[in-house]
Amino acid sequence: MTDHSRDAGLARRLPEAVTQPEPVGPFPPTDEMLAVPVDPALSREQADRLKQAWHTPQGWRYLSAVNNTEVGVWYSMTAFGFMLAAGVLALLMRVQLAVPENDFLSAERFNQFFTMHGSAMMFLFAVPMFEAISILLLPALLGARDMPFPRLSAYGYWCFLIGGFFVLGSVLFGVAPEGGWFMYPPLSTEAEGLGPDIWLLGLSFIEVASIAAAVELIVGTVKCRPPGMRINLMPLYAWYVLVVGGMILFAFPPLIAGDFLFELQRSFDWPFFDPERGGDPLLWQHLFWIFGHPEVYIIFLPSIAVAAMIVPTAARRPIMGYSWIVLSAVGTGFLSFGLWVHHMFTTGLPMLSLGFFSAASEAVVIPTGVQLFAFVATLIVGRVKIILPMLWIAGALAVFTAGGLTGVMLALAPFNWQVHDTYFIVAHLHYTLFGGMVFPIIGGVYYFYPSIRKKKLSERLGRWSFWLTFTGFNITFLPMHLTGLKGMPRRVFTYPGDIGWDWLNLVSTLGAFVVAAGILVFAWDLVRPKGHQPLAARNPWNGGTLEWSHDVPAQAWGVRSVPYVRSRYPLWDDPGFLERLDAGRFYIPDAPEGLRETIVTSAIDARPQHVARITGPSWSPMVAAVFTGGAFIFPTFKWYLAAGISGAFAVATVIYWLWTATARVPEAPTKDAGLGLRLPTYVSGPKAPGWWAVFITMLGDATAFASLVFGVFFYWTARPDFPPAGAEHADLRAVAAAAAALTLAWATTLGARELNRRTLRRAARILLGAGAALAAAGIAALILAVRLPEMDPTSHVYPAIMWALVVWTVAHIGAGLIMQLYCLAGSFAGRLTPRHDADLWNTTLFWHFLVVTCLVTAAVVGLLPRAL
Amino acid sequence: MFWRQPRDRSLWHMILAPTIWALHFVLVYGVTAVLCAKWDAADLARLTIFASTAVALTLIVAVGRGAWRQWDYLDGWDDIHDRPTDNHRRRFLGHVGFLLSLVSTIGVIYVTLPAVFVETCR
Repeated sequence: MTDHSRDAGLARRLPEAVTQPEPVGPFPPTDEMLAVPVDPALSREQADRLKQAWHTPQGWRYLSAVNNTEVGVWYSMTAFGFMLAAGVLALLMRVQLAVPENDFLSAERFNQFFTMHGSAMMFLFAVPMFEAISILLLPALLGARDMPFPRLSAYGYWCFLIGGFFVLGSVLFGVAPEGGWFMYPPLSTEAEGLGPDIWLLGLSFIEVASIAAAVELIVGTVKCRPPGMRINLMPLYAWYVLVVGGMILFAFPPLIAGDFLFELQRSFDWPFFDPERGGDPLLWQHLFWIFGHPEVYIIFLPSIAVAAMIVPTAARRPIMGYSWIVLSAVGTGFLSFGLWVHHMFTTGLPMLSLGFFSAASEAVVIPTGVQLFAFVATLIVGRVKIILPMLWIAGALAVFTAGGLTGVMLALAPFNWQVHDTYFIVAHLHYTLFGGMVFPIIGGVYYFYPSIRKKKLSERLGRWSFWLTFTGFNITFLPMHLTGLKGMPRRVFTYPGDIGWDWLNLVSTLGAFVVAAGILVFAWDLVRPKGHQPLAARNPWNGGTLEWSHDVPAQAWGVRSVPYVRSRYPLWDDPGFLERLDAGRFYIPDAPEGLRETIVTSAIDARPQHVARITGPSWSPMVAAVFTGGAFIFPTFKWYLAAGISGAFAVATVIYWLWTATARVPEAPTKDAGLGLRLPTYVSGPKAPGWWAVFITMLGDATAFASLVFGVFFYWTARPDFPPAGAEHADLRAVAAAAAALTLAWATTLGARELNRRTLRRAARILLGAGAALAAAGIAALILAVRLPEMDPTSHVYPAIMWALVVWTVAHIGAGLIMQLYCLAGSFAGRLTPRHDADLWNTTLFWHFLVVTCLVTAAVVGLLPRAL
Repeated sequence: MFWRQPRDRSLWHMILAPTIWALHFVLVYGVTAVLCAKWDAADLARLTIFASTAVALTLIVAVGRGAWRQWDYLDGWDDIHDRPTDNHRRRFLGHVGFLLSLVSTIGVIYVTLPAVFVETCR
């Protein structure tokens, strides 16, 4: 990084940088230290203080809770509710298709239903369910008190709830989108009504929440593992969370970039996908499927991760081939990005290009298969007890394997052309998604329920539910392979009789109701009152991982003390572990300051680094989500002023939330963390979880920006008239001025951080102020660069995409400017000091990414078109 | 920063091989898209693909060799690395890195095969 290569002569003349306190004391603890008993009276006092710090708000204030155990439950129940709603849509469609020439649903309504069924199942159920369950379980699996940013989880949840109701509610008013869950233009750009806007804005809103959750889960896995849990001891679930979080960062941003272009076309007639004005509908397909195919694995991997937790417990032995499963998770994560064009085999791309994607689609089978073999191997060598969750996992493996085999067929382009857009595809995708997601998740709910709710679900209802769902599923979807091979296209609201499709459809419809019965039995088991039922045993399945060290009855503190871990299965391998955990023998067993805390450790070897103060109950996440919702929802109705005001309030709420609750100057620089270890209470830069969160967020942001730049090159390759002959180009002087001002704004921010660390606070403030002024100047120059030559974005795609890049960059500079001013205000208010400079580190990191964005924009807008 | 970390303590080194696969994939896709769309130059596209495959495979083999040494399998024929020690962490990261090099090698070869068999852009 550039900050290490500063001028040695200058550095000598400046004061020394303030140093951060380091951890002091023994690590790892010795067996003797761990064996020292804790005084029971002291332990009780500590437990009382912890209870107070982690007290969950009661009454109507309960909704201000941010604890992962509360937010995770709301999140997963909401996602399950949306799943049931989307399931009802499916049943109604199946009724319509039961017999030929049926008029139960109109064509228009049918179109809305299949669009919303797909959209809701993918965006409101499958992905959020992963995030919900991970938020709920990850701290328990890692022996952490909570996620690193509890209010961010709460914010994500409220965004999801509002966005979900908005999108799904549109079905009740008959204004839902009708173009299929992938919204292809020109059908959806030309569509009348609000449908596509609801889809684009509502789901973009939810995607932002998804990325927030991904950031939190990655930081949670990397930085919040318990001391001693090295990377080779991590529960496999955490590995999958890490991989899937990374995939979300690179998969969702292209879709957000696509949504951005799409909505600009719908609202302002910028012709990105209109071939008459130089646009190309295929760009949307590329952006959508660069998201859409990894999405399938984003759904599948976490569910298979649940299987990876259940299988060792059922086999009563450690998992076979831990490294192989990690290989398979990471390998699938990578390869799944090379498959997107297999959804576009019929679009007329060069034959050679189709071959690459066909080959990569076959290659991904290898890592996917490896993990299934590892599970089977574990079961073969173990002493298997078919516990109920294992039944669901077994069903999942069978169904998913069948779906995987049709996937291998579909990866071959010539076969794909034959069955493209037929019911064969519907059968295939339901086999992969039901087998790869629904079965394992329900199995996971049966497995983890005692850890979440301290009660067991019913064994009998669970078996009923499984056999109903499993048979019903196969009755519904197995015949669909044949229906598809017999030529029935997807997405038709009815069909003529006597061409061999009648009985197949009738069977599928009957099967669908059997599935529904199975899911309803499960839903009833989930929500039925369990007050009279005794509490479940603490470790009812005899699992070996940390989530089974939970407290019965429930405690809000997560863990009594954050353990020192030295095995993959501490409950199996480490005698005395539970007693020490409960007595508070391990780390941070106390909350003398009455604050919520968790331990932050190093990324690979989990050496303790820092006691992190984490945020408690607050209304600000909910308020911020409501205003953010306004900023996304009002534009649907073209109420741009209201949207702007709502957005401003959202920003103000977030600033209030950050100012009052994050990066507070602690009462003492270090504190006793237990077992003789003293840890810093404030860290900044790469040791701080917040810095990692910014880094990861900006990786995702950079991906979205890269997708826009990809758009420019895509138009250049796909269109002969890009840029059109004689087109006005951006003003070169203004572009150069913008590049200079923004580079200086970055340099002053970096300089401010370095001067501040060297106790030159006034100079740092001057630089921050100058940086903000330069950023503002950069915004003005960038806008002038495309305003001056009167490039009309509605006339052709070339000015439109240049404008889009400028709008994107300007919005980001605006954020960078707010961050500079925030640091400036912090410096004046005494919350940002030479030693407490986390905000300034994070702002500088943001500006590192921002300056690259600005320079690329300047090059692409100012120089590239003149060179093409 | 991460590139200064020693490879036995680095997740970034572990994922080097699939990263090479990804770069190779992007290059192959981009080159074909541009050459086929702009100039219908299938032969040039195929040549570029073969050349970049040679480079990618060489790099992956180099990465894989490093990972193989780090895994140190022949010393004790041990493939379960579940102890809380520096040695087990080092060997675990080497093991996964090595397996990822194998999958990446297969991936690169697969993606090259179409260029062997398909001789035209159409």
